[in-house]
Amino acid sequence: MNSITERISSKDEIVMDKVGMTYQADGGKSVAALSEVSFSIHKGEFISLLGPSGCGKTTLLRIIADLIKPTTGKVLVAGDTPESARKSRKYGIVFQNSVLYDWRSVRANIQLPLEVMRVPKPEWKERIDSMLELVGLSDFGSHYPHQLSGGMQQRVSIARALAINPEILLMDEPFSALDEFTREKLHEDLLRIWRRTNKTIVFVTHNIAESAYLSDRVCVLSPHPGRLSAVVDVDLPRPRTAELRHKPEFHALVAKIRNSFEGV
Amino acid sequence: MKTGSLLSNEKLIPCVWTIGLAVLWEGVAFILAEIVQDQMAGMRLPYLHDILITLFQNAGFLAGASATTLSRAILGFAAGAAAGFLLAIAMSLYSRLEKALYPYLLLSQMIPILGLAPVVVSIVRKAQIGPYTIAASDITRVIIAGYITFFPVATNMLSGLKSVDRDKRNLMYSYAAGKPTVYAKLMIPFCVPYLFTGMKIAAPLAITASILVDSLGAAEGIGYNLTYALYTGAYPVFWASVLCSAALGIAGYSVAAFFERICLPWKTAVQKKEAGV
Amino acid sequence: MTGKLQKAVKRLWKDAEGFVLPALFGILIIAFWEKKVFHALLGVKVLQLPIPSRITAVFLENAHRMAPDSLATLNTALSGMILGSLAGFAVALIATMFPKWGAGALTLLSAMNAVPVVALSPIMNVWFADAESAKTAVVAIVCMVAMAANAFRGMNDTKQFALDLMKSYAGSKRQIFLKLRLPNSVPYVFTGLRINVAAAMIGAIVSEYFSPASKGLGYGIRNRLSTGQFPLGWAYIIAASLIGIALYAAVAALERWATTHRQV
Repeated sequence: MNSITERISSKDEIVMDKVGMTYQADGGKSVAALSEVSFSIHKGEFISLLGPSGCGKTTLLRIIADLIKPTTGKVLVAGDTPESARKSRKYGIVFQNSVLYDWRSVRANIQLPLEVMRVPKPEWKERIDSMLELVGLSDFGSHYPHQLSGGMQQRVSIARALAINPEILLMDEPFSALDEFTREKLHEDLLRIWRRTNKTIVFVTHNIAESAYLSDRVCVLSPHPGRLSAVVDVDLPRPRTAELRHKPEFHALVAKIRNSFEGV
Repeated sequence: MKTGSLLSNEKLIPCVWTIGLAVLWEGVAFILAEIVQDQMAGMRLPYLHDILITLFQNAGFLAGASATTLSRAILGFAAGAAAGFLLAIAMSLYSRLEKALYPYLLLSQMIPILGLAPVVVSIVRKAQIGPYTIAASDITRVIIAGYITFFPVATNMLSGLKSVDRDKRNLMYSYAAGKPTVYAKLMIPFCVPYLFTGMKIAAPLAITASILVDSLGAAEGIGYNLTYALYTGAYPVFWASVLCSAALGIAGYSVAAFFERICLPWKTAVQKKEAGV
Repeated sequence: MTGKLQKAVKRLWKDAEGFVLPALFGILIIAFWEKKVFHALLGVKVLQLPIPSRITAVFLENAHRMAPDSLATLNTALSGMILGSLAGFAVALIATMFPKWGAGALTLLSAMNAVPVVALSPIMNVWFADAESAKTAVVAIVCMVAMAANAFRGMNDTKQFALDLMKSYAGSKRQIFLKLRLPNSVPYVFTGLRINVAAAMIGAIVSEYFSPASKGLGYGIRNRLSTGQFPLGWAYIIAASLIGIALYAAVAALERWATTHRQV
């Protein structure tokens, strides 16, 4: 039974304390999706939740987002329960599918959270414009989702998540559905956005190199039951550049992360 | 060669078919009248040009009848569609209601609704609203057209509401959106394509229903013309009315499809994309 | 122990809800009808809208007398449906074999479908000296279109890679048809059959309204209602509905049998 605990400090944006998630599968068997996961995420940090399918990484993200409730343990998000964090709109979320509403233009999609959260109308145009500029889609405001490529759709999804200026950005395998070239371009875009906005980013992925390239730290999760096997510090220099992917220290780090998995 | 490439032009094919059909019609009419010397040729398949001439001669009269039938159908259609829309939303909000009513929605597709028109005719009496008398047949047409529209619209709309994907809903949940907001900004816009599917099925049905009631006991309308012309042996008028009713049916569907294209410009584009065009 | 029992009861109730609630609703409607609530609301006399107990009594009394009419309608509906479905399938076949002209044939058929059954009936009455054939012809035409459209879609809605696979086997057109298009079209054909069952019943009944023959449920309904025998007229309506439901259920059962026995 592995549990890695960290000292809780005031720099901590998200704290997981012995979080467990068990559910009843068909046939009455209980399945432990997560088992006693404890760690904390610092403010302004870029952290990855990495693991194969069944390790509970998406479950963990959804617990933080208050989309599901854990069966055991405590979670603190921005000093509050996940539910109040959600209700006070402390985070924005990006899914694997861009989840854009087909009937709304790019601008209208980004506008959606502003409408729902009753942000004053005069602010809308400026916010949307700055978001479009942030993700590099200023010329595509009036386009509809079906007219955009997969990569562009995800960029709109990111713009939408940031439109309300949340403290935290939760990303659930946002680039898994894209081809490698688009993915690498989006890595650069994401890091650029992160540098400019200083958000705390929780990034779920199954791609070891991706987690190593993007993050400050990597939480390695292993399956059956889902548990935290290791938290690996990524001490590669920032800003990360494309050449880094070829350097030996990068490969060594990827190997180190790979070896931290258990039972795979 | 030249004709070959002409024939392979996609746009020309429907034209060729229409012309071919017209020629075939005239041909068969000719055979019936002159070669087989069929006494009933005038009834069975009159010359297309005769029918068209009658159509033009009686244009005003036929147009008036068509308008009557169509207007009642539209009223019923609108009422039925609105009711179906609202019921679907109510059923998606209250699962108990959905469970109670869903089997009946399914059953309704198996019952020969149109066949039950005489019942409504026998029940409905004329209504009096202030100084205006509304004919019984008008009410009947609206009721049956509404009834026949209600079910496809409700069923399709409900199907749409149930198929909103989880992540779209999770997104709204992450915004801590209240139920009215979720419905207004997600569920209903999402279901508009399904609404149109139901309406495209219902539109020709509503028109057929209106025509049926015409012929069962109304004093005006295209269906009435059909039976009256038949009764008085005015076969060209009968056939002209047939063409009118066919045109109405096609028009009903086309108008619905037209509005669909206006309201959902992205849907046709997506469909084209998926079909690999 | 009690926890498990509670859970089991809860689940049982949830499953039962699907039956109990509609049943309750149905009983409620019948009760209101019997107690003349609808009569009061709609301003209708009991004579015109008989109460359920009366209708049931009359139905049971006259069941044997309604049987020949029911059989007549059933006969018309089924023979017309079979003829029409076969013809529609044949058209779809030809349209698939000659794709360029195929689409035109289908649009032509749709135009025929636009002629309402009300107009078709008198036309068929003139074409066929025999009243029975006239009615069957109406049903056949109505069923032909739905089947043609559905079968055509089924034969041509094959996935591109499935088609490519057959071509890579140097399959002849006939082989492609038999091994790919035909099996692919089975679910679509069944959809068409389900639509046709309802359409056939409607077509049969409506054509009976206009037929000189004094047979069939349609005739029964119209005749009884116009001679003021309202309970019997309603009994005929119930009979027509029951047959419609039974036919639909039969086709659905056939579909289930066919799809489970298919070698997919």
